[in-house]
Amino acid sequence: MVAIVLVGLVVSCLGGALAYFAPALALAYRATGRTAAVSLPHPAGRASSAATATTVGDRAFTVLLLGSDDDQKFANANGGKTIVTQSMILVRVDPVTRRAVMLSIPRDLWIQLPNGAYGKADQASEFGGPPGATAAVEQAFDIKIDAWVWVGLTGLIRLIDYMGGVDVVTSQPVMDDYYPADIDSKDPYAYERVAVLPGPQHLNGHDALQYVRSRHGDLQGDFGRSERQQQVLMALKAKARYIKPEDLPNLASTFNGELQTSMSLTQIRGLLPLAQAFDNPDQIQHLVLLPPYTTSRTIDGQDALVGNWSLILPLVHQYFGYA
Amino acid sequence: MTRRLSAGRIAILVVLLLADALTGFEVYRYLGAHTAARLFQPQKPTDPGQQHHSGPIAELPGTLYLASEGAIYRLRHGDFGLVLPAGGWTQPAVTPDGRSLIVVKRQFAFSDLYLVSSGGQIQAQLTNDASKRYEFNDWAFYPRVTPDGGTLFFDWDRPKDLQATYNVTLKVWSMPLGNPNAPRRWTTPVAYTGGDVQPLPLSPTELIYTRYFRDQQGNVHSELWLTSRPDLTGLLPGHALTAPEDDCSQAALSPDGKRLAMICTHGGQTTSLEVASFDGTALGPPLTLVGTMQAAEPAWAPDGSGLVFLAPGNLAGDFQLFWVRVPVGPPSGATTPSGPARARPGPSPSPPPAPVQLTTNLDFDATSPIAWHA
Repeated sequence: MVAIVLVGLVVSCLGGALAYFAPALALAYRATGRTAAVSLPHPAGRASSAATATTVGDRAFTVLLLGSDDDQKFANANGGKTIVTQSMILVRVDPVTRRAVMLSIPRDLWIQLPNGAYGKADQASEFGGPPGATAAVEQAFDIKIDAWVWVGLTGLIRLIDYMGGVDVVTSQPVMDDYYPADIDSKDPYAYERVAVLPGPQHLNGHDALQYVRSRHGDLQGDFGRSERQQQVLMALKAKARYIKPEDLPNLASTFNGELQTSMSLTQIRGLLPLAQAFDNPDQIQHLVLLPPYTTSRTIDGQDALVGNWSLILPLVHQYFGYA
Repeated sequence: MTRRLSAGRIAILVVLLLADALTGFEVYRYLGAHTAARLFQPQKPTDPGQQHHSGPIAELPGTLYLASEGAIYRLRHGDFGLVLPAGGWTQPAVTPDGRSLIVVKRQFAFSDLYLVSSGGQIQAQLTNDASKRYEFNDWAFYPRVTPDGGTLFFDWDRPKDLQATYNVTLKVWSMPLGNPNAPRRWTTPVAYTGGDVQPLPLSPTELIYTRYFRDQQGNVHSELWLTSRPDLTGLLPGHALTAPEDDCSQAALSPDGKRLAMICTHGGQTTSLEVASFDGTALGPPLTLVGTMQAAEPAWAPDGSGLVFLAPGNLAGDFQLFWVRVPVGPPSGATTPSGPARARPGPSPSPPPAPVQLTTNLDFDATSPIAWHA
């Protein structure tokens, strides 16, 4: 009789925990381990990017972080939505030396896209989604990317709000009269005025997105924005140390389809202790491809950045290795 | 062979099933009650448990005005009171007589300055920055009244750059407090830097402000700039009080006018609160009072004995109120009467006093200067 009672209690405890973690498990099933092979038609291209086969051990590994909206103004000819990656950041982590490097890829960088044509880097995900973008970056930079993580803009807002905001030191007033008001607006072409004042401050999700997304008032345009994106990523990482397993279901609801990754749950679990080990900002080096690494040009009527690959590739290989 | 269940056994089974269901529910509830996110919820200064404070915060003299989540609060003898309810209010500045505040009301695409009694009654709207034409909306920020109470300095994004509409910059303006129709522009900012901010008038004709500019590599720096002449052409009269690599901003002048507190980042992502002697034209070597805790918005005590400032002070990183005593007679080394550099930081004569955290779970606006009146 006692055994039956005990078994019943254990089962009910497990049942309660299972019910609690069900949203997280569902997200884990839906959002992780997303793999797809994308082949680039370029003669030198490699069939890629599975971006899956990494295990977290002592080996350094590279992750491509992708941030984008599902903006209606980029709807394709079939009426479907097209994802344009507004933020592409390569992260190289060395578990042994406990050092990391972040390289922001300019969204206007002119590279070969997965369909064989050349275009802006932010358009690469139109062809195969994040795996397509990963394949294009792998080929352009001649590196091996082990995994990718994609977060939608609204997912980023909700994540920052769930974590109670992030602390950043804004280096100057970020003023933008033509900031895209496309998150909660019915008009995908609407814009709004943004004024993020300078100095240390606590940003909620909405304000943090304005800070990382605004670029019109910055002479360095996308480069300045890339630096701000890296800054907020670091602030988020600092905050993530407080997250507990009990938060996972709420985080799953928070993302609600706004998070995908090629990594499996096992790989993510292996990464968590490593993330905790990076508690000093000096452990992380930040790279932005400013001139002379890139040059502004107009190509096919588009404002683009042409890479000086003889400078870029040695830099990238120095930090990210070879394919 | 099956045994018929007696009523007693059925009752026991029902009780056990109920206990199991309750246990499962309690496990679910327990897990939900132990998320980290629960710890990220700040309170309002006037919430029960936050309104009345004892200890060091109750010993602050005079009245402080602070902004939190769009509302303005007064702090007097450890008690918080609501001055203006949540509605986009921020950046209060107090007039020298202490009877009025100049406050920014920030809305979706514009902000305006209002003259408000210290009790929270709106007395006048000083700017009119809303426009039906989107591109003609304006921002007004950082009001500050001259020591004689006659002139208001503030930031405005007028005039617009009609040739380059992406170039939105704040400029320092002034206007007689009694005549909002006679504004006068004081600065011409560097394009695409965000502009000149945080005016600190020493008199109606002398001004310290934070100026943003780019170095030859294109990196943005801030410096404290002292000027006595309006600049409508970009010739930049006056001179820098701090060096570009120090990246200083948010100047606050001591009541006796002889010391300047400021926030500096030295090109990094952490801030330090520094104090330097000020002889009216240049700064002495700074003393770092508070380092590496993201200090912001220093404000001097009316007696000059110390500073309050804001810094992250809870798990969520919300900005709390801190106090730090300023040692009497900070380093008064050689000053630089001209040129852009102040003397380099010298060794502190003794460890600076430790800052004292005055609030624990509030959420003050760290881009809103603190107004403090005796």
